[in-house]
Formats: sequence, structure tokens, C-alpha cells
Amino acid sequence: MAQLSGIANETIRAEIEEFLERPEEIERNVELFNRASPAMQDIAAALIEGDNDTVDRLTAAALADGVPALEIMDDGLIAGMGIVGIKFREGFVFVPEVLVSARAMKAGMAHIEPILAASGVEPIGTVIMGTVQGDLHDIGKNLCIMMLRGGGFTVIDLGVNTSPDEFLAAVKDSEARLIGMSALLTTTMPNMAKTVEAFKDAGLREQVRFMVGGAPVTPEFGEEVGSDGYGKDALACVALAKQLALEVRR
Amino acid sequence: MTEQHYPRLSGEWMTPRRRFLSALYGGRVDKVPAMTLSSVITLEAMEIADAEFPEAHLDAEKMARLAATAHENLGLDTVMPVFHSQLEADALDASTWWGTKDNWPAVDDHVLTDPEDFKVPSDYLERRSFKAALGAIRLLRKRYPDVGIVGKVYGAWSVGFHMVGIENFLMDTILDPDKIRRYLEVLLPASMMSAHAQLEAGADAIMWCDHANRELVSPDMYRDFLLEMHQQIQAEVGGPSILHCCGETTDRIDYFAEAGWDCFHFESQVDPIKAKEIAGDRMSLFGNINNPTVLFSGTYDDCYEACMTVLNAGVQGVAPEGSVPLGTKMEVLAALADSARDYSNAHRPDGRFVVHDLPPAGGDDGSGQ
Repeated sequence: MAQLSGIANETIRAEIEEFLERPEEIERNVELFNRASPAMQDIAAALIEGDNDTVDRLTAAALADGVPALEIMDDGLIAGMGIVGIKFREGFVFVPEVLVSARAMKAGMAHIEPILAASGVEPIGTVIMGTVQGDLHDIGKNLCIMMLRGGGFTVIDLGVNTSPDEFLAAVKDSEARLIGMSALLTTTMPNMAKTVEAFKDAGLREQVRFMVGGAPVTPEFGEEVGSDGYGKDALACVALAKQLALEVRR
Repeated sequence: MTEQHYPRLSGEWMTPRRRFLSALYGGRVDKVPAMTLSSVITLEAMEIADAEFPEAHLDAEKMARLAATAHENLGLDTVMPVFHSQLEADALDASTWWGTKDNWPAVDDHVLTDPEDFKVPSDYLERRSFKAALGAIRLLRKRYPDVGIVGKVYGAWSVGFHMVGIENFLMDTILDPDKIRRYLEVLLPASMMSAHAQLEAGADAIMWCDHANRELVSPDMYRDFLLEMHQQIQAEVGGPSILHCCGETTDRIDYFAEAGWDCFHFESQVDPIKAKEIAGDRMSLFGNINNPTVLFSGTYDDCYEACMTVLNAGVQGVAPEGSVPLGTKMEVLAALADSARDYSNAHRPDGRFVVHDLPPAGGDDGSGQ
């Protein structure tokens, strides 16, 4: 069985020891980072610390050393962001820290994405993401998008203030069957229901799966508006998307 | 017996304005106030007042008529004409999308990247958003001398979100905290001018919105960036002050009280009993009826029950947690005033003043303390 002491990077060891509390998460991460090379651990550690310059430099160096892009993404960037996500969920860090780590992830992904796109790796699925009509807040949505892309999804980002018609048009124009709706304001949350209704009216409701999220959104509200699932944070969003992707297979 | 002694004073004898202000300061009331602090404007209210969004945001007369529906049609003790959150940012040249009849306005572009570039425009208070809001407050003061008028100000922190962009602003709290301190320093006068102007126009109190809630930042960040500034505001604002901070705030209510706010308007994520325990007598509490589930999707009975829960927790006044969704039914909102009336009738032992039956110390954990 993998041991914490088997992880070379001191920061990663300290992060797991100090911030991870759930046994299954400790086990998964200890195993993951034991498997990851020291170079990948360094990328993850720099990402956790929000050091985008170091992530940028180490990612480029790893690619130059012949490390596969997929390995850098999984064992370095996503592994690091996974720890950040857990710390956020547990209240050890807040949005500013997550944003700074996300910026570092973006710096790494800038090297990785073009390589993955050119390699023809099949995505798990395509997700249409948008902040609902009347709402211009997109921090949470953008974090979800980043994690979804990192998690193997293709994402069509409709941006903010997205009307039901724009969601409908995006589904018609693409093969996407997963839709993620975000809202930060209690005043705009009802527009989630309007979007679901628009899909019913267009006869497309059965073909798609809706995910909802956002600070004031609750699982109960998600159910009420007729969505197929609620994600509390970006990690939960990816897990939900993977589950729903199995249902719609696109 | 007391009713015979004070027949003239039995039941509801305070004006809504006096009731609101007394509750704000944690004083005695004949009835617990039911209020709007954020917006209670709905599509129905727009029909009644013949004043619609988005025109009502920039037209003093329409804004005043629409704001008045809170008192006239919902029986609330206050009116609040600054429905949107763009008052300061629009006058500071942030790009504003004024929305539609059924959509709220928002700032759609951010104009500031360096605090040293910022200056409050010389005609700041004469610009369109202020012209409408200050005009509406003056009209309301004239038409409703006995009703509480709430002014609304976005503080330097939240104006910073609008001017700089929330993502950049929050990242710089980590990457360049001194820059954030400088933003707060240069933006504060714009918020303060807004507060003074609204009070001078006739507002009875200022609801100051600075969104430093748990969904965004740690309580330490509130302490490090805002506590001292908020203490300074108390000394300079020149009127009763209500802090509004969205979302989950339980872990920083103690700081809010330390900052010296007269009152805190809190949201439904916060347990009112816990909030009351923390705030004690240092700061009044108004809140916290849930918007999406109770007011928008719920019934009159759901709202009534939620109001009773919050009143039984001992808060000084009942109000929606924030601006209600525009599709909310007025028949549901009517339960705000009805519940406050019924609660007060049941808790006025001497016939004059409401006495809260406070929950046992330690909340409902049965610890027997």
C-alpha cells in the first residue's frame, strides 16, 4: 500500500497531511502522488501554491523532456487542482486562493491543450455551459469549465447572460447533450426553470441532461426547476458530468 | 388591564418610520417591523404602479411609484427605491446594462486596472443613476413622511467588484493586497458621498452593501481589509447604518458587530438563532426570508412560517434576504406584514411593546444551559 512518505515533494506531503480528512481521499491522493513522478509532483505543488510562472516553466520543461501531455495534465495539473478543490470544499481556502491556482492551471493548460487537440483524443463528452439570463457572474462557471476540460470534456462556453434560446441554439448546433447552468443571484435563479421549460416546449428535454450550480442554488432548487443534478463546486460538477454523460453518451 | 390604562396606545401606535428606526437600534417597538431592505419589486408591482424596469431605474417618478408598492400594497414599514446595484458604478463610468422588464441590470464591463487612475467625477451626484435615485427618495419623503425610507450604498469593496471585475479584484487580495487596500481607499469617498446624498435627500437609514461573505472570502480577509474601514464608516456616515452581506456570514458576524454597524441584514444561509447569539445586544438583526425556495417557489403559508421562525429567534425585524426574483407573487410577500402583525399581537404582554420570547441559551441543542 502506498505511503505518504513515498511522496517526494514536501509541499504535497504537507498538503495531504494537513488538509485532507476523508480516508478515501487521503488514500486516493497518496496513491496518485506516489505514482506521479517527482516532476509532476512539483507541477502540482506549484499549482496548489498558485505559482503560475513555475507551473508554466515546469510544464514546458516536462513536455520538452518527452513527458506525455496527458500525464502532465492528469498527474500534475488536475492532481494539484484536486487538492485545491478539496481545500475549498472544506473551507480551508476561499475563492481568491482557488482563482490564483486556476490561473496557474491555465498557464499549464496553455501548453497541454493544443497537443491534446492535435492528438485526436476522444473527449468523454461535450458540455454546454452558461450563466443564466440576467446574470453576469462567471467565476464559478469558469472554474467548472476549467475542471471539465481538465477532466476530459469538450466545453462550449456560452458565457454570461445566456437566454433559453441561446442554450437551445447551442444544443441544435452541436452534438452536446449536457448543459450546465450557473446563477449567482437569487433574482436570476428562476431563469434556470425558464430554460428547462424552453427545452420542453421545443421537444428536446428528453435528449439532454441539465446540471445546475451557483452559490445560492441548492439541490432542492435544482430538483424544483427540473434539472438532472446539482453540483456544489467544480469537483462535484465534473463528477456529475461524468455520471450524466453515461446517460446521454455524448 | 394595561389596555385600559393606555387605550390610545394599544395595538399599533407607532408610525412605520418610527417602528423601523427603533427596531434598527434594538429599541422598543409596538410591532416588529416587516420591511424591504433590498428590493421587493415584482412584475405584478410594475403593473400596479404603471412603472416598469428598466425605465424605473432611471426615472425618479417611476422609481418612487414602484418603491411605494412595498408600503401601499404589501403593508411593509419601509420603502427602498434603489432597486439595482449600479448606483455608484454607473456614475463612475462602469458600463451598465440596464436589463429588461424581467431582468436585472448589471455592470457588463470593468473600467479600472489601477487605483491611481481613479477619480470621483466632479458631477458624480448629478449623473443619471443618482438623479433618479435621489429624486425618488425626495418624492417618497414628501409623499410618505411616516414611512421608513431605506437608502442603499455599495461600499468600496463591492464597488471594486464592479469597477475592477470580481475575479481580478479577488485575485489581487492574494497577489497584491496593497493594491486592494489602495482601491478601497480611493473608492470609499464615492460610497460615502452616495450615503450622505441619500440621507440628505430624505433616507432614514443607509443599507451598506459590502459582499465579503464565506462563499467568496475568509473571515480573516474581512478583518484584514474591511473591519477598520467599516469602523471609520460608522463615524462618518451620519445616519443609521445597516450592513448587508450576502450568503453565509455566521463566521464573521462577530466582526460585523465589532465594526459598529447598527444592524445587520442577513441571508437565509445564516441560522437566525446562531446569529442572535453572536450579535447579542451589540447589533440588531433584520432578515432573512429565503428568496428562491420560500418567496419565489413557496406559498403564503411557507412565507408566514419562515417569518415566524425568524421572529421567534428574536431578530428585530423581518425582511426578504435580498432582492426578490421579479416573478415572485405579491400574495406570498403579503405574509411578511401579516406574520409580523400576528407575532406582535401574541408577544405584547403590556399592550404596548413587543417582547421577544428568546430561545433558550445554546439554541435548540437541548444542552440545558
